Amino acid sequence: MYGGDEVSAIVIDLGSHTCKAGYAGEDAPKAVFPSVVGCIDQMDADDDKENNDSETNNNNVDSNKPKGKRRLYVGSQALGFRRDHMEVVSPLKDGVVVDWDIVDSIWDHALKDCLLVDPKEHPMLLAEPSSNTQQQRERTAELMFEKYKVPALFLAKNAVLTSFASGRATSVVVDSGGGSTTVAPVHDGYVLQKAVSSSPIGGEFLTDCLMKSLESKGIVIKPRYSFKRKEIQPGVFQTVDVDFPHTTESYRLYSQRVIASDIKECVCRAPDTPYDESAYSNIPMTPYELPDGQTIEIGADRFKIPDILFNPPLAQTIPGMDNFAEISPSVRGLPQMVIESINRCDVDIRKELFGSILLAGGTASMQQLKERLEKDLLEVESPQAARVKVLASGNATERRFSVWIGGSILASLGSFQQMWFSKSEYEEHGASYIQRKCP
Amino acid sequence: MANAASGMAVDDECKLKFLELKAKRNYRFIIFKIHNQQVVVDKLGTPAETYEDFTAALPKDECRYAVFDFDFTTAENCQKSKIFFIAWAPDSSRVRSKMVYASSKDRFKRELDGIQVELQATDPSEMSFDIIKARAI
Repeated sequence: MYGGDEVSAIVIDLGSHTCKAGYAGEDAPKAVFPSVVGCIDQMDADDDKENNDSETNNNNVDSNKPKGKRRLYVGSQALGFRRDHMEVVSPLKDGVVVDWDIVDSIWDHALKDCLLVDPKEHPMLLAEPSSNTQQQRERTAELMFEKYKVPALFLAKNAVLTSFASGRATSVVVDSGGGSTTVAPVHDGYVLQKAVSSSPIGGEFLTDCLMKSLESKGIVIKPRYSFKRKEIQPGVFQTVDVDFPHTTESYRLYSQRVIASDIKECVCRAPDTPYDESAYSNIPMTPYELPDGQTIEIGADRFKIPDILFNPPLAQTIPGMDNFAEISPSVRGLPQMVIESINRCDVDIRKELFGSILLAGGTASMQQLKERLEKDLLEVESPQAARVKVLASGNATERRFSVWIGGSILASLGSFQQMWFSKSEYEEHGASYIQRKCP
Repeated sequence: MANAASGMAVDDECKLKFLELKAKRNYRFIIFKIHNQQVVVDKLGTPAETYEDFTAALPKDECRYAVFDFDFTTAENCQKSKIFFIAWAPDSSRVRSKMVYASSKDRFKRELDGIQVELQATDPSEMSFDIIKARAI
């Protein structure tokens, strides 16, 4: 059993969009970087040579790791630099790991490049999605104990950490992140698995919608790498396009998304009532300056894009998002998801759940989202006369990183030190013991 | 054991005082706090004290656990009492203390045998006298 006096645990929350890592006991994660990585297949011989050359130059800056036949580039810096034939890939699908090599490289980057720690010396608390399967958890334990040789490990559920961090052991956690939105009821610290519902509509989907919508209006977002901008005289800038024919489609999309997602965060807010094309046709335009200097004006999209969270079929009206029609029948809006999820719980606790709906995740920080959700739920739920209360931390950092913050506090508690799944327990009972230690 | 439970210990005094409240009815309410990595008794209320005295005894910006022995008369004019467990986590309290109290609650509640109604409150409106009455009946 791990029981040192000096608790210097590391907390990692690997989300679908960003990975948050830092030291337990701190208020916010030290390292926040994208969960996607750049990947170059090492099949081509000349490609190989080129990479070897570059490796000698920037080995210290980037975390380039040859992994079998491909090379992975992890972290904001390594991704920000455009490379020929570099694809952008994600290790997660629907919040669950599908590519362990990439996850491994992300952990490695977090520990060795960002936090500069030796994992052998630090207990590790990982946040996991409620949907994680038994195999996934055992795999995680194996990797952590065998490869990183951590002295102790704990897997905590996202929803439970968020719920606890807001002082509630019973609540419905609405976690709207990058890749998906998950509604998970938590009762007395247990996630009610059968009532968990999720949808693929998260921040990235909204970003794509915004991008397509802007494109249909003739606005093209130029990725940052595709031009050079110089100040030729004070206050006068010149933009020169640069062409890189070997840039992959996925990298171009990634770079455009970075910009589009900033536009979204700057101008979008959830409308007070369901979006209506005619009512919003005359609203004032909001300017936004793109990195290449052109200023664009955004009007109705400011409200239309966030409304997709509440009314997913709205996405089909955006040119270029037509393929959404295939999945849309099964996707429900946020209020419906919350209600369905609560109605799948025991009748006795429904009232309490309606009274504590917690918002968490990056997309949930959208302006007016809390007010709108509360209003929609009240309208639909008024017959039950239930008290509806949607809560979100007033502090933007706390809202965005609630999972990580919860983990950080938990792992730093003196009393928690007896709860770890220790290395000796792993050696004695094997990886499957994780199910007992971290239910 | 719940996922992500804190492993906080419970002082024996908590159980003893709770038994007195339950069996001998020596107290109207007991307020508990977490101190030095264990749950300890913070304040005791005499049987003469009211619900208002109880809510006033809860700190404005710190988390607490509490049990309250609620006397009421049913529609059939029958004298009854119910024991409430309240997890008090005001919005203005620090995240750290919210996390500590929420993650230790399940374990602590199990130590107190005989709780009939449980509620969690983050502001006074969630534990108003009306709500208490509604939950009791």
